[in-house]
Amino acid sequence: MECGMAATTSTGNSAGNFLNKVRGYKSGNILIVFVAIQIVAICASLIFPEQFRYLSSSNLQVIFRAIPTLGIIALGVNLLMITGEFDLSVGSTFALASIIMAKLFNGGMPLPLAILIALIVGILVGAINGFATVKSNVPSFIITMGAMWFWRGIVLLISQSSNEPFHPGALMEMLFVASVGPFQVQFFWFMAVGFASWLFLERHRMGNQFFAVGGNKSAAKALGINTDRTKMLGFMILGGLAAFSGIISATRVNDVSPIQGEGLELQAIAACVIGGTALMGGRGTVLGAFLGAALLYTIQDVLLLLRAPGFYLKLFVGLIIIVAAILNEMLRKK
Amino acid sequence: MSDEKPFIELRGITKCYGDTIKALDDISFNIKPREIIGLVGDNGAGKSTLIKVISGAHQPTSGKIYVNGKETRFTSSKVAMDVGVETIYQDMNLIDCMDIMRNIFCGREDTTKAGFLNLKKMREKAMHLLQNEVTIEGIRSPNQLVGNLSGGQKQAVAIARAMFFKKQVLLLDEPTSALSVRETQAFLDHITKLRDDGMSVVLVTHNIYHAYQVADRFFLLSHGKCVLDVKKKDTDIEELTKIIVAH
Repeated sequence: MECGMAATTSTGNSAGNFLNKVRGYKSGNILIVFVAIQIVAICASLIFPEQFRYLSSSNLQVIFRAIPTLGIIALGVNLLMITGEFDLSVGSTFALASIIMAKLFNGGMPLPLAILIALIVGILVGAINGFATVKSNVPSFIITMGAMWFWRGIVLLISQSSNEPFHPGALMEMLFVASVGPFQVQFFWFMAVGFASWLFLERHRMGNQFFAVGGNKSAAKALGINTDRTKMLGFMILGGLAAFSGIISATRVNDVSPIQGEGLELQAIAACVIGGTALMGGRGTVLGAFLGAALLYTIQDVLLLLRAPGFYLKLFVGLIIIVAAILNEMLRKK
Repeated sequence: MSDEKPFIELRGITKCYGDTIKALDDISFNIKPREIIGLVGDNGAGKSTLIKVISGAHQPTSGKIYVNGKETRFTSSKVAMDVGVETIYQDMNLIDCMDIMRNIFCGREDTTKAGFLNLKKMREKAMHLLQNEVTIEGIRSPNQLVGNLSGGQKQAVAIARAMFFKKQVLLLDEPTSALSVRETQAFLDHITKLRDDGMSVVLVTHNIYHAYQVADRFFLLSHGKCVLDVKKKDTDIEELTKIIVAH
């Protein structure tokens, strides 16, 4: 990897070397950007505690509560994108799983069973998307765009276009959405899913084959890897994670809206792109997706704290995605 | 070169694509232990199709394949790999975004029972391979990304992979097309060494000079038919060139 730039800064050689070392890691660049933004935000909030309440406990709670919903899905999207596929229907799967769970539970079904069925629904939707993609050879972008509207339609049908309340009780809330100091339990779930997905991608045979299939499908096939089955697995894991995220979200707001999760699919892809996951497959890291999701929310949060008008949010997020994608591409060529 | 029984024998292999194209027409071909076969012929002669049939990537329309005298159906690349046939295609089947070690073990990872990778063990094996078996110029570590290697280095990684899994037959489809002159020489030395170590090699090329340098036998295809199957000692480069041009 080309170094130099960082080493010539006035921070001195050892700091420069350290930075270069970090940049040498696969997701080193996003880590540096993330830490830099955190340092700026934290310093600003220490200097102006009244005007910029970044470190206030209520703000921290908002951040730790908001990130996991997107983050858990982004971790799944990262896995699938590494195999070279997309799933635009995750927002609909997210809503479908939670509305089914809420309806079943409100209809008298035991909670664990309702949760299990919600997870199975998510995995099943992923399996259908995957099956249609690998068998038809139509790009997953198209298949899952159709699936996005189809399953959203099913959600509207099931819900009759109205919200479904969901009050699963204290145990469930303790398991998924309780506060632990400034943290929220769902943030630990996010970290646990992140760790599991790291183990899978970097340390397990299946993960290794995800990279192979996304990196060079025909080579993977010639090496005896079942590429269709690998991609199917990617879709199913993502479907399961979308459902899981939906379950957490429904528990948090005690309610399922038929339009919830709209736009989540693009945000999750954006988080991965910011984190350095390649759109063509074969490259991506868990830490990148994790930080990408965290970064998207941090920036939105900072803008909110600065009381920036709403349109700045979209404007900034849009810019960040484009800049991140261009930077990642430039770094890759190096 | 030997007159031993063939390891792999193809009898009457025909391969049609659709109704009109007959890529292979009643080909009988055998691969004996410890020989290098130069599979030569002009573009469109059927060389690549023949390789794909032996590697299990394509299934013949008719004809039979025998492994050590036993009829075997090569229904997939996996079947061919399991009996000991490794293929290196023109694009070498390497995954650019993965490192050398992961490429060597891709699809055949060394894992625990639960499927977790024995990274340390694989790295040691890869290191040993790179230092003692296939020395590759400019490679210091099995952690280098394959995408950053030159054509010759990639070729050597692909060969290292074939060697590691102790294959009996190595099929090489136009292996020298992406190599520099020096890399080509190193490559030809490698396959001679493989033959001396007990492997058989089928070298597909339309560069008759490369084939002539190392091959023990020549198998010449033209329009899907075999026009010549001759040992090196019974021919010379002038005669081979003449026959290729004539067809």
